[in-house]
Amino acid sequence: MDTSNSLVIETHKLSKSYKEVQALKDLNMSVRQHSIFGFLGPNGAGKTTTIKILLGLIQPSGGRATIFGHDVHRESVKIRKRVGYLAQDPRYYEHLTARQILDYTARFFYRGPKDLIEARAQEMLELVSLEDKADRPLRGFSGGERQRLGIAQAQVNYPDLLILDEPAASLDPQGRHDVLEVMEKLRKYTTIFYSTHILDDVQRVSDTVAILNQGKLIAEAPISELLAGDGYSAMYDITLMGEAETALAEARARVVDQPWVQNLSMTTTDGLIHWQVSVSDDAAAEDLLLRLIQEDRSLKIKHFGRKTYNLEEVFLELVGKENSK
Amino acid sequence: MTLQMQPQVTRDLRLAARQNLLPARGSGWLAGFGNMFAKEMGEWFQTRRWLWQLLIWLTIINGFVGIILFVLPILESFTPGINSAMEKPFEGFPAGTMALTHYFTIAVLTGTIGMIILAQDEIIQEKQSGTAAWILSKPVARPAFILTKLMSNITGGLVFIVALPALVTLGEIYLDIHQVVSLVPFLAGVGVFMLGLFFYLSLAILLGVLFQSRGPVMGIPFAILLGGGLISSFIPQIAYVLPATMDKIAQSIVLGYPLPAMFVSQIVSAAVLSIVFILAALWRFQRIEL
Repeated sequence: MDTSNSLVIETHKLSKSYKEVQALKDLNMSVRQHSIFGFLGPNGAGKTTTIKILLGLIQPSGGRATIFGHDVHRESVKIRKRVGYLAQDPRYYEHLTARQILDYTARFFYRGPKDLIEARAQEMLELVSLEDKADRPLRGFSGGERQRLGIAQAQVNYPDLLILDEPAASLDPQGRHDVLEVMEKLRKYTTIFYSTHILDDVQRVSDTVAILNQGKLIAEAPISELLAGDGYSAMYDITLMGEAETALAEARARVVDQPWVQNLSMTTTDGLIHWQVSVSDDAAAEDLLLRLIQEDRSLKIKHFGRKTYNLEEVFLELVGKENSK
Repeated sequence: MTLQMQPQVTRDLRLAARQNLLPARGSGWLAGFGNMFAKEMGEWFQTRRWLWQLLIWLTIINGFVGIILFVLPILESFTPGINSAMEKPFEGFPAGTMALTHYFTIAVLTGTIGMIILAQDEIIQEKQSGTAAWILSKPVARPAFILTKLMSNITGGLVFIVALPALVTLGEIYLDIHQVVSLVPFLAGVGVFMLGLFFYLSLAILLGVLFQSRGPVMGIPFAILLGGGLISSFIPQIAYVLPATMDKIAQSIVLGYPLPAMFVSQIVSAAVLSIVFILAALWRFQRIEL
């Protein structure tokens, strides 16, 4: 069986409502094995609700979800044997030490000689560099240390799926860097499904992204596709040099007249003319756009290329469009 | 396409087996029970909690019995009649009966208050702090979570509130009268005491599942404990249902009185209601959102 394209998480019309509030609306989503799946959305979008449904902590109002092919509601314990979870605001028993927490967590999954379970806890302490704080009660831990312990306890059972809810939200830049590094280290062993609103992090480590807004999935695609602008409209950046205003106006008219051109915006800086052309038919644009401009040889083209978005632009455009509906 | 894994051949198990770690035992509705129960027992017996509990209950219960047995006779020489007035109702009963009767009065009242205080935080604290959500994100069945709280507290209560003070009481009485008290009625009385504690513990667990704040979790059991007797004087039927007079039932057993229908009904009702509370807590907790 080729498992590289296998689905680990699948949801079908998953929904959740609280009295009058629809927290999640007909969510259809799939997460492939060994992917780092970024689950994006503004606060209150329904990310944590989705995660809690997947873990069996809350019940869906409608639809269904499966993890490893098991129903998240009816076979939750079976699923949780193979899942590691880090909550958005992880809470543990404050009087226990980090080592005791990991030891306790490991015993939910394993039995066997005490020293082997302790060795597993030690291995996890080393993974997150908490060896020197291992025997201190948790009540003295900083936010970053708690988050690292959270990752360690989530990883203690070698999970096939790691679910992280805002893993870097409360961390300083170094802490965020460390967490992302751990995630990258773990990618070859496990599938990582994580929610966040820190877009830089998603762009750095994720291979697939889903964007949730007001409980509704508004985009789900490999990150390369999203950043290329696929799925809504492609944009071309063109920089021109030319004195002839008439030639410029004619070239602009030729471009704007095309049925696949949605918009052309123009700015001028330091004698250079910048066009941003959004198109609905990417193939036609690839084929014709440059030729249309070059019809008049008096215009010199300094730069021609398909605009690459950053995730923030994509996110803001998609969420903005959705909110304006 | 859905990933179809063979359950017994997950990567998790292969890695664990490589390390000689075996998958944890317990499945179905007891999944996770062993680990949680071991942790809760550790809280009772491997921290200083055991020492505090021991000191509290020996001081309250056995201190009181000690005053009855050893201090009152001394006070008799300063305040003539004080001891003989207390002993008078027990004339004709075996030696030590007065001390046993007073033991049940103080043990049932203070023990029940103690059990309510100990149990009131068990579920609420875990729900409010988020540790319940953390635990239940592991392979833990929800019934196992509730049963752990129930079993660990009943074990702790049995050891520190019931068994040890009862043993010390027997020792105190032996020291006073140099006779061993009749064990069967004493143990039957202790059983009634234990049943009362179980009733209040299961009630507190259920209330902890139902409510989000500590007020009702403490208030309702205290209202039954302290107000039950008062209400039953206006509505006598209440005394057939609520365990409002478990101390008097235990005393009747020790004194060898035949048990009136109200007392028998109270014992049966306490047992049945305790089971109903536990079942209701299990049912409700299965549906709670964390």
